Parts: sequence; C-alpha cells; structure tokens
Amino acid sequence: MLFNSVTFLIFLPTVFILYWFVFKKSLTVRNILLLVASYVFYGWWDYRFLGLIIASTLVDFTLGICLSNKKFDAYRKLFLIISLVFNLGLLGFFKYYNFFIDSWVSAWGLVGVEFHPSTLQIILPVGISFYTFQTLSYTIDIYRKKLAPTKDFVSFAAYVAFFPQLVAGPIERASHLLPQFSKIKSFDFEFAKSGVGLIVWGLFKKIVVADNCAYFVNQIFENPIGYSTLELWIGVLFFSFQIYGDFSGYSDIAIGVSRLFGFDLMTNFKFPYFSRNIAEFWRRWHISLSSWFRDYLYIPLGGSRGNKWQQTRNVFIIFIVSGFWHGANWTFVIWGGIHASLFIPLLLINKNRKYVNAHNYKLKDGISVLLTFIIVSFAWVYFRADNITFALEYTFRMFSIDDFSITSLYKTSKTLLFALISVFSILVMLWLEFRAVKKKYNEVHLSGFGLLCISVLILFLGVFKNPAEFIYFQF
Amino acid sequence: MKQFLKYLLGFFALLFLVVNLISFGSLYSLNKSDFYKPCYLVNSIDEVEYDYVIIGASTGLTTLNTTIIDSITGMNGFNLSIDDTGMANHYLMLKHFLAEGKKTASCILVASAEEYGKNQEFIGDNDYRFLPFIKRSYVQNYFSSLKPKSAINVLKWSEWMPFLGVSYYNIELFFPSLIATVKPSKRNRFDSKGNYAYPNRKLNNDTKKPKTNIRVSFKSDYLNKLKELCHDHNIELIYYFSPLRTKSLSFDDEFIKSIDHSNIFKDDTYFYDDIHVNTYGNKKASLLFAYEFINNY
Repeated sequence: MLFNSVTFLIFLPTVFILYWFVFKKSLTVRNILLLVASYVFYGWWDYRFLGLIIASTLVDFTLGICLSNKKFDAYRKLFLIISLVFNLGLLGFFKYYNFFIDSWVSAWGLVGVEFHPSTLQIILPVGISFYTFQTLSYTIDIYRKKLAPTKDFVSFAAYVAFFPQLVAGPIERASHLLPQFSKIKSFDFEFAKSGVGLIVWGLFKKIVVADNCAYFVNQIFENPIGYSTLELWIGVLFFSFQIYGDFSGYSDIAIGVSRLFGFDLMTNFKFPYFSRNIAEFWRRWHISLSSWFRDYLYIPLGGSRGNKWQQTRNVFIIFIVSGFWHGANWTFVIWGGIHASLFIPLLLINKNRKYVNAHNYKLKDGISVLLTFIIVSFAWVYFRADNITFALEYTFRMFSIDDFSITSLYKTSKTLLFALISVFSILVMLWLEFRAVKKKYNEVHLSGFGLLCISVLILFLGVFKNPAEFIYFQF
Repeated sequence: MKQFLKYLLGFFALLFLVVNLISFGSLYSLNKSDFYKPCYLVNSIDEVEYDYVIIGASTGLTTLNTTIIDSITGMNGFNLSIDDTGMANHYLMLKHFLAEGKKTASCILVASAEEYGKNQEFIGDNDYRFLPFIKRSYVQNYFSSLKPKSAINVLKWSEWMPFLGVSYYNIELFFPSLIATVKPSKRNRFDSKGNYAYPNRKLNNDTKKPKTNIRVSFKSDYLNKLKELCHDHNIELIYYFSPLRTKSLSFDDEFIKSIDHSNIFKDDTYFYDDIHVNTYGNKKASLLFAYEFINNY
C-alpha cells in the first residue's frame, strides 16, 4: 500500500478510528490492531512475503529471550550468530544472490574460465533491508546488555512490522520504539497536529517536488546521448531533489502517521542540502541508517580509536557497506566509495566534526553549502545509473563542455510546464527548510495558513496521473 | 481528541472550499475560452449548417484539412477531431456538436482499425476536455458509462467536486485555464476550421517494417451508437481510412460507404510517422479526398 494512494486514504482513518475510539481500553488489543493493520498494509503489496516478516519476528523474539536467560549464558555468542546468519542470510538471498553469482562468473571470465550457473528469478521483498536491520539491532542490543528483551510477543511483532515505517524506515532501534508499545497512550492534540503537518509536508516533497523532477530525470537518464552538457547537469541536479523529496517525503509521512497514533519516530533527515561539508551531510542524510552503521559496524571496528590509518580503514568500510546496502550493484559500491573519498580527507585534517555544534550560518557558509551540494549531486549519477559503463559515460559527457543548450526543457509546452513547476517547488521547499534551519528546528513547521497553502499546491501542482514509485522501495 | 477532530474538520472544510473555488474558476475560464475544441465550438462558431464534419482522433485531425477540401468542393466543413481519443469520444463530439443546434449533411469518421474492432471500456486520455461541460447530461452520462483508469472516476465526480478533475488533470486543465483567463481566444493546436498538421521531417528508413495486413471488423458498440445518432439526425456516415506507412487494410464489410486512402502513399515524404501524415501528406490527402468526395457523395 502506498502512502499516496486512495487505498491508504481509506486505510488510515479506519485504523485511526479503531485505535482511538473502539479499542481504547486494552493495550494488548491496540497492539494487535496495529499488528493486523501493519500486516494488511504490507500484504496489500504481496501477502506471500508476510511469511518472511513473521519468521524474522519469531526468530529474533525467541533469540532475545534465550540471550537473557542465565541458563544459556555459555551460548550467548551462538544465539547472536544465529540471529546474524538468519537476518543477513534472508537479506543476502533475496537481495544479493544473483549479484554474487553474476560477479563470480564475471570474475572467472576475466581469466578465461567460462561457466553458466543458474540464477533464480527472485523478487526483492519490499522493505527487507529495513526490517532486518531493525530486528538485528534488537538482538545485538540484548547481547550487549543494553536492552532487556520483551516477553510480550504482540508488542515485539508490532514493533517489527509497524506499518508507517515498515517498508522504507526510519530504521528504528528497539530501545526507542519498543517501549512505546508497552504503555497505553492518551491522545496528545499538539503531537497529532504536528503529525498532520508532517504528512502534508511529506506529500508535498513526494508528489510535487520528486514526481515533477522525475519527469525530466527519467527522460535524461533514459538516453543521455541526446542531451547537452548543461542538460545532463540539470538532470543530475533534478535527481538530487527527486531522491531527497522522495525519500525524506516518505520519512516525514511515516513520522507524521506514527504521531497520529501517539508514537514518536526518530528524525531521518535534517535538511541535508544545507550541509557545509560531506561529514555534516552524513549527519543530516538518512540518519537512522548512518547511526545504525555507526553503532553496529563502525564502533565495533574500532571507530575513531586507533591511528589515522585504522580510522581511515573503518570509515572506508562503512561507506562501502552503506553503498552496498542500497542495492546489489557495483554502482552503489562506487557511490559509497566516492563519499568515502570525500569524507576521509576531512578526517585526516580533523575537520570531520567541524560543524557538529555549529548551528548558525554565516554568509560565507553559502559557498560551502553550494559546493557540498554539487559534489553530492555528482555522486548521485552513480546511484541513479543502471551500470558503471553508463555512469562513466554520463560523467564523461557532463564534463565534455561542448553544448550548453537547454532546449529539452522547453521543447513542448508540457515540458516547459514541468520544468517551471519543478523549479518553483524546489524553491518553495528550500525556502521553508532554510527558515527551519535558521530557527534550529529539526523539521519544517507549518502554520495553519502555511498548511493550507501547501495542500493547495499539492492538489494543483502534484503529479497524480502517473506517479512515480517511492525510490527507496527497491532497497 | 475532540479538539483534534474539530481541527481536522475545520482544515479539510476550508481546504475543500478553497480548492473547489479555484477549480470552479478554472473550469469557468476554460468554458468561456477557445482553448479546447469543445469550448471553441460553443463560444466561437456561429455557423449552424455544415455540409460535412470530420470526427476522429489524431489521424482525423492531421490528415484531412477542411480549408483545402472546401476550396475544391465549395462545401463548408469543420474538423471536430481530437487527438488521442477513441470511438466513444468521437460519438461524444458529434453529440456535443448537435447539442449546440448545429447540423451537418455528412459525417466523415476517421478511426483506426483497432478502434472499429473493440468495445471501448475506459475513459480516454483526452476526454477531460469536456469537463467544462460536466453539467450537461450527455457529458455526465458519458463519464458515468465508461470505467476510469484511476482509482476513482474523477471526471464523473467532478460534477459535485470539480477539484477532483482539475487537480488530477492539473497540467491539462488548471494551467491551460490560467492561459485561457489571460487570452481567451488562444486555441490549443488547431486552426479556425479545426485543423492541425504535423511538421515535415525526414523519417529513418531503418525503422520501416514490411507492411502487415490488418482486418477491419466493425464491432465497436460506440460505432453502433454513432450510426444510430447519424440516422436519427439524417446524417450520412462516411468512413475514411487514412494513409498508413507500414500497414494495409482489408475489410469484413465490403459494402460500407468509405474512402480508403490507407495505401495511397508509397513515399515516406508524406509521412510524419507510421500512422500519421506530415504537412505534405496532409495537403495531398486532403486534395485526393476532396475530388473523391465531390465525385462519389
């Protein structure tokens, strides 16, 4: 089920009414309702893969209890390994099986050995990268004795499958979200109202910003040879806003919907295009994933302890793994590598934490923001490309400096209109975000009038006829 | 909770009011303009009696030029075709023409072989152009009789909630209405006699495939409705088959009144693509049609 669908428009109020008006007395019944609603939400896409979520839930719930049981103290490491193998095994099979087979064959092909193993027609279950990381964090935290396991299976199952964030995050930690299923909530007007604001803002970013930008991005990335140097740059810049609007829009809607049920999800994006260097960008972009890797991979590897060589190695591993998490393609690995190569120099000159507590912007920061945005945008080419050859050709043409026409933006009245809407909506988004940055907010706050204006813009500038799918569903 | 429900109710009521007001204004502006052909027909065509009209989709719009035909035949014709439409829309367009109190002796139907052979189930991609006339019963019936491609029938429900249609088709309705407000006489890709021609361009011969034969069977339910409508208004229905680059036609019914130009052009010079002629083709096909029309009908 998509957030921007008519089905969800019926689904959400139904669950809301049942949650607050019908099942208001019993915590367990409320959690059962959320669990059933979450399974319906997910099963609407493909009910066959519900089995994977249920299996993941059962395995980690059981392992969580075993990990805390003193009788099994000697086997704690074994239980953790079972959890890691099971969850990463699921992810590996469904997401990376064919990639590894193909890469294996290609590697042998380089030394002249040819063989033809069978690949499988595997459908990637939506959200598998998100919920497996969520369940993994649960068992790892129990193993580290940072979290006590829950004995309430329904709460745990509802935590794993919680529909607002099930398919595209934010990737929640059990220590933050799970306890929220253990106490009966009373309705908080201001909290719910802020949720409505975030839902509207998220829809604006998705339906207006991302989907209008997608019109050009898809055309340009379909056949870059037919476009000028400047148009290829415009294609990349539009993609930067498309992916941001798409993914952060989804996160905002997820957080907003959760607030309607009294749940608080972590902030996933903190205005990343106002970052002054790459290090700051990674503290603002997909925060739930970055912090997951920090806590469960970077720190165990040694983190910022050790000498510069060890720190550099750790950072490099994190970025490569993070790139690979996004998809079974070498393009994502290179994308991670580009970010690593931009981050590591900052680490070496001790500038990676320069803006950690620097919330005030000076005029000269504008140049840093612009430069950071341009290099982040450049790296998106590898994220968007289907393969490395394509990405290299696109990059080469971006720097070929032979044609600066922008005729494709106005070749028909329709394309001109899409271009104008895209630019206008990007400016509206940046303007409202800049206001929030200046006020040191974590999210855009809309007044009643602002909410009305944004809703009107969604209805008259949004793409309803051929909406693009959420990009992060494929991860 | 009560406060939240009040807040939601207030917000949605205000939003509903604002977007419907904007949409109403948008449709009103289009209704009073010449931007789309159904509106142009109502607002700027004073003539009542025609010798012939052409109905069809893009092939009808771009193949037969009524100005050229009239200059040869001395008749008075109008091209009612709308691109990217189906048989149901051709029927609706003729009905709209007649509802304006206009008359015609002949109706030239320019439809593709596929359109004749199937029953149209879904609302067409350009049917929104009739939305400014949603209050008219035949338009409302039309939108109700076909299935929507979207989750809900936005065109049908626009009678009561115009924002549904205007926001769903915002590129096609909302923005043109802004242009129509500033310049009501602006027409969207058709001249004062309803014609449009594709530009001349060189076709890539690599894309040309050997001609395949298509059998035309006259089974469409909207074709039957169209026949009935013509019969009721004493209109002679004539089938026209436009030039095709990679297809040839054969017919189930050999006794229909038709002008078959599907195979007249062997030369790519006349084509814009496989099924449309360019400006050269438009002129030549219109001339040939005019001579055939005046001699046979």
